[in-house]
Amino acid sequence: MSDAPRPWNLVAELTYRCPLRCAYCSNPVGWRRVPERLDAPAWARVLGEAAELGVVHVGLTGGEPTLRDDLEAIVTAATRAGLHPHLVTAGTTLARSRLETLATCGLRSVQVSLQDVTAEASDAVAGRAFFEHKLACARDVRSLGLHLTLNVVLHRGNLGRVREIVALARAMGADRLELANVQLHGWALRNRVALLPARVQIESAAQVAREERRAAARPEIVFVLPDHFSGRPKPCMGGWGARTIVVDPSGRVLPCHGAAELANLAFWSVPERPLRACWSDAPGMNAFRGESWMQEPCRTCPERGHDFGGCRCQAFALAGDAAATDPACDRSALHGVVVDAVREAEDSASPALLYRDATSAT
Amino acid sequence: MSGAFERRLRTVLAERYHDRHPFNLRMHAGTLTPTELRTWVRNRYYYQTRIPIKDGIILAKAEAPEFRRAWVRRIHDHDGEHAGEGGLAQWLALAEAVGLDRGEVESLRLVLPGVRDACDDYVRLVTSSGLLESVAASLTEMSAATIMAERIAAFERHYPWVSEQGLRYFRSRTILARRDAEGGLRFVLENARTAAEQDRCVRVLERKCEILWRLLDAVEAASARPRLASAANLRSDAVSDADLVVLPERAVRLNSAGREILGLCDGAQSCEQIAAALRARHPEAEGVESDVHAFLGHMLRLGVLEAAP
Repeated sequence: MSDAPRPWNLVAELTYRCPLRCAYCSNPVGWRRVPERLDAPAWARVLGEAAELGVVHVGLTGGEPTLRDDLEAIVTAATRAGLHPHLVTAGTTLARSRLETLATCGLRSVQVSLQDVTAEASDAVAGRAFFEHKLACARDVRSLGLHLTLNVVLHRGNLGRVREIVALARAMGADRLELANVQLHGWALRNRVALLPARVQIESAAQVAREERRAAARPEIVFVLPDHFSGRPKPCMGGWGARTIVVDPSGRVLPCHGAAELANLAFWSVPERPLRACWSDAPGMNAFRGESWMQEPCRTCPERGHDFGGCRCQAFALAGDAAATDPACDRSALHGVVVDAVREAEDSASPALLYRDATSAT
Repeated sequence: MSGAFERRLRTVLAERYHDRHPFNLRMHAGTLTPTELRTWVRNRYYYQTRIPIKDGIILAKAEAPEFRRAWVRRIHDHDGEHAGEGGLAQWLALAEAVGLDRGEVESLRLVLPGVRDACDDYVRLVTSSGLLESVAASLTEMSAATIMAERIAAFERHYPWVSEQGLRYFRSRTILARRDAEGGLRFVLENARTAAEQDRCVRVLERKCEILWRLLDAVEAASARPRLASAANLRSDAVSDADLVVLPERAVRLNSAGREILGLCDGAQSCEQIAAALRARHPEAEGVESDVHAFLGHMLRLGVLEAAP
């Protein structure tokens, strides 16, 4: 075995199926070609092996993980393995009675995604009418005494409502609010002009977040300046294959949820091999560990130790080379691509959103 | 125009001055324990020691002899004309009157890290600001005379065990603060002419209020009684000798010192008692109290610990 770092988190993508069609969905664009190959006993095996590797948290996510009718067995397996199970749901299909059962299986915390503060605006992004279901689900989480995180993806269309979003989170009794500036990968990249905000929107939202943090201790508010505007690349996943294991619905072991779409990287799968081997020894996993893969300017950059050259998927998408410096970095020779994208979005009226699974021709 | 500006400054004080801080309200309501009162006196002394230093920095920014002539009196007020006189000596008399050891207070050894940060931020704020803004930062004195008068009454009524000797600082500040505030306000009103200058003065006064508020936050936190948060799960790590605290959104690895401190967080002992207990266990180690308070503050912010009600 190589000297791979200790993983702390496992992201268990239980299914890519989802009743929503969010225009910035982070699942692979080619999700339909990924078969669901892991049943509950297979997941139980993966979770046990993850605990042996040092994993502490498991995020049960998707797609919509509650579409699996064996979720109870998977939560039970996580608890038995000594992991902290955390459910990441859109909250559209989770009845209170089922949530109660999941809590007795050991579920301790739930993240519910919200798209906006009104049904109309929320449905416009999600492509389906589920806003009230989501609020009801979040209320159920709190009333069962579980830890509640609300996650709202921020973009051009809702950045002006951060204050209202915080107020809603506070009214719901959320413990944590993640204000997640949209990441421009996959589906979101196709909607870049419609989603990319103006700089002034980002700045005033950041100010609101600061003020609201000062106003009350709860919820804990997470707001990170997005890489397209900060000039600094994001320290994606805390480093490639450094802290987090992603297992997709087919059992493929990845360093992040987008890595499967990078060309020419070989990843291994848990049905065929132990998790430890998939994490430590798969060629794809080792492709960008450490620093030897780096090119200039990353190779000699003083910041390479904490931003790791940025996001490999973004480098692949924008520079055509997954080993290139992330063009979000203002030291990248290709940073102009990002600057131009921001300018193009600023100068354009918002085009209509293209929902997940819509054909790109429309 | 300057009337509107003065109203803005007074609004900042009305809304943000630390007389509204819960710890100050409790002090004046008479519900502080002797330990809490001592903690405040000991820590506020660090702030007192910063005052003549920041006044020296302000002096060095001034071109006009008449400004310096007036401002230098503030340094004399705190340091005295001779040893044993002035505001700092009076504060040490207060420290003795509440039962603290004068040498310990003077050594600044037990100053809480949060208090040190807040006071150092004040000196930094003055250092990095222009003369006008530095003077604006001192305008919290406009509210000082009132708070001192309330404090004297509160001490006489609720803390009669503190001798009259101890109250001399408050009594002298009631007069001096009024004089200083009048001079400072006149200077700011005359010199902040543009809207931008006035905005900067308002902002700097807000930041000063924030600094005083943080000082009391830190003092208040020292008497909090921490315990493991209800959402936290303390367990041994599967792959190392460390202990882990697992929270919904993060895991915190504890080294042996962290484990020892956390072991004392039973919801009954205050942060100060915990720091004192660790000092007793490790009499030779340097900076134990400060490290313990910094660690406890960090764990409270991370959600590993919560304050018992």
